[in-house]
Amino acid sequence: MAISNAAGDPAAGNEGGGERKRKRREDPPVAKWRTEGEQKTYSSKLIEAIRRVRRSSAAAAAATDHSRSRAVRVAADRALAVAARGRTRWSRAILSGRKLKLWVRARACRRKPLGNITAASASYSHTTRKSKPPALERKARVLGRLVPGCRKLPLPTLLEEASDYIAALEMQVRAMSAIAEILSAAGVAAAEPM
Amino acid sequence: MSSRRSRISEEEIKELISNLQFLLPESRRRQAATRVSAAKLLKETCNYIESLHREVDDLSDRLTELLATMDITSAQAEIVRSLLRS
Repeated sequence: MAISNAAGDPAAGNEGGGERKRKRREDPPVAKWRTEGEQKTYSSKLIEAIRRVRRSSAAAAAATDHSRSRAVRVAADRALAVAARGRTRWSRAILSGRKLKLWVRARACRRKPLGNITAASASYSHTTRKSKPPALERKARVLGRLVPGCRKLPLPTLLEEASDYIAALEMQVRAMSAIAEILSAAGVAAAEPM
Repeated sequence: MSSRRSRISEEEIKELISNLQFLLPESRRRQAATRVSAAKLLKETCNYIESLHREVDDLSDRLTELLATMDITSAQAEIVRSLLRS
């Protein structure tokens, strides 16, 4: 099928705008996330990244389970963004601004812990005074916050990014589950006396 | 401003939303023929993304745990072997 061919052949002019227009009619560009080849590539990249995490956390003696799992999550997301080959906003946002965003948010949270209560009540009255912005817009804002790098996008672009993001996340889940299965099976096998 | 926006992109929105509906597993189950309201679909999308995020977090925890007990080189060999097999 054309889909799998295109996925296995990234240099075959996937990038052009014309290609994209044609693909939108027949197969949505999200189909590439469903191919096995893509998943295998992602899995091997992920393993590399996890290995690096392990090495760096072994050096830092204070690595807790939580921080290590966090590092794995970050590595998985970065590998996912790389797999997108820079064609989507969310992937570029992950690769470029991730650390900065987390930093800024952490600092902002820490700076006003007490002011939060009054700020929250103020924002509540503010939104009710706005007399219900259309439900669609509210939900679109929430969605924009969930997809990285898509906060201020107009709705059509946001929906496009969201569909691609969802397909990518599904592949991420599939790949990580497969790796977990293999590792747990390998662990069991290693434990048994041969 | 908002009315102009809705006039221009309403069809686009409808098309994109139908694409989205195709993606979401629950919407698919709910017979893609029935037209769900856009707001509901957006909400479902948000919920779905959040649940996917949670799943990825859980999987990261699990992988971290598994990798703590195995040494990496044998793990990699095992994975490569399995990947080649499938």
